[in-house]
Amino acid sequence: MPAMLLHDLIGYLEQLLGGAVITVELAVSGYVLALSVGVTWALLRQTRNRVARAIVLGVWRVYASIFMSVPSVLVLFLFFFGGGTLVGALCGLVGLKARVDVSPFVAGLAALTIVQGAYSAEVVAGAIRNVPRGQFEAARALGIRPYQAWWYVILPQVARLALPGLVNIWVSVLKDTSLVALAGLNELVARSRTAAGATKEPFLFFIAAALFFIVFSSVTLKLSSRLERRLDRGTARPVAAGRGA
Amino acid sequence: MTFDLALALHSLPVLMHGLIVTIALAACVLVLGMMISIPMALARTSRHKPIAWAAAAYVLFFRGTPAMILLFFVYFGFGQVFGARDGFLGALFSNAFLCAVIGFALNHSSYVTEIVRGGLQSVPRGLVEAAAALGIEPRDVFLRIRLPLAIRYGLKAYQNDVILLTKATAVVSIITVVDLTGAANAVFYDTYDPFTPLLTAAVFYWVLINAIRVGLSRLDAWLNVHLAADERRDLAIQIRTEGLAPALPAGQLGEAAE
Repeated sequence: MPAMLLHDLIGYLEQLLGGAVITVELAVSGYVLALSVGVTWALLRQTRNRVARAIVLGVWRVYASIFMSVPSVLVLFLFFFGGGTLVGALCGLVGLKARVDVSPFVAGLAALTIVQGAYSAEVVAGAIRNVPRGQFEAARALGIRPYQAWWYVILPQVARLALPGLVNIWVSVLKDTSLVALAGLNELVARSRTAAGATKEPFLFFIAAALFFIVFSSVTLKLSSRLERRLDRGTARPVAAGRGA
Repeated sequence: MTFDLALALHSLPVLMHGLIVTIALAACVLVLGMMISIPMALARTSRHKPIAWAAAAYVLFFRGTPAMILLFFVYFGFGQVFGARDGFLGALFSNAFLCAVIGFALNHSSYVTEIVRGGLQSVPRGLVEAAAALGIEPRDVFLRIRLPLAIRYGLKAYQNDVILLTKATAVVSIITVVDLTGAANAVFYDTYDPFTPLLTAAVFYWVLINAIRVGLSRLDAWLNVHLAADERRDLAIQIRTEGLAPALPAGQLGEAAE
């Protein structure tokens, strides 16, 4: 029996690896886009102009409220079923006649970006809030231009403060890629289901898929703690009080 | 590209039915999840290493796995083994709704275990010692002192997980349970209107999630009414930023406890 199991697993290994590649591609591209959306929102929310600020905050509240309260799957279906019509209508506005079909991958990417973008904006904005005011004032007093102050003084500190939250978002993006199987994307979870159905070995393939997610996110967590140490190198480390002492 | 109000009104009964399924599913998972989490949190902090490791492995496995794999695992896995049989297990695993409850509860309870553990560990040591010194039974120390405080400490984080769970149930149609999202999809396949049913369902979700958020925030405020406003805020901030990930206890408390 174990020989049979092994045989099944090896037979589907190529399929599963192909699925894992799609999963990772979607997760990485979704995360990069979500992070860009998040940083953009967080920076826009810092504007000093009172009118612009009121508009940005108003739009942000609506955006955050919608996409933090509606399941990602529903957003995915909206893009998957309605995305083509939406793009067609937008093209119609500028006089183009276009017939667009949205692939499951693109719909999934759009949904992950827009939903996780809201969460990462919260994390980044929180980190900006936690940078001591004195850092902004010192940069101004030293005559550093606002653009340079943000790039060289504030954002490196924001990166350090935001890292734990952003790592959490990475893990949930990775797990959320499985939702796109509902729109027909043939990624790891969908393929493990096919394999489980064909071989009548559900436990084998579902555990294999689950282990992929666990191992992959553990590896990235390890990497992120190394990155955290690197980002922390400028700060004096408080003695780890109470941790396993 | 329009919102068809007539269709939205027409599909309300179907969507309402889906909403009830979503709420029933989430409620069942919350109850089962709590029944698993409290013993699991105790096991996680147990002095017996094998028990603590087993609980840690449970959390690691079910927290790191997407809910959809767990649904497949229960519905296709256990369903295949027990589904065709007579008796209790056969009835249990041939019912897609019950499979969904188990699948989500495995996932949800692994999150809540960490919250309960963090909350229990945040209860000041001196309080527990004082209770013991007053001759209160160990069981009562747990049920009347440690657990109520742990619930209060963890409520904010728990609120996030309740919301996360409620939104996560939207994938349940993959194992044939017709919830709110499933109902909206059914209307879509009948009418090929890509916006109306999904947007109507989105409104339902928005109301449901915000009702949960407001309800649990009220409960939290009520439980912490004895604290000054800024203390209350500090507690919320501390829990949010630390995310309860490694261990909740802040410096001094942890030192005292170790």
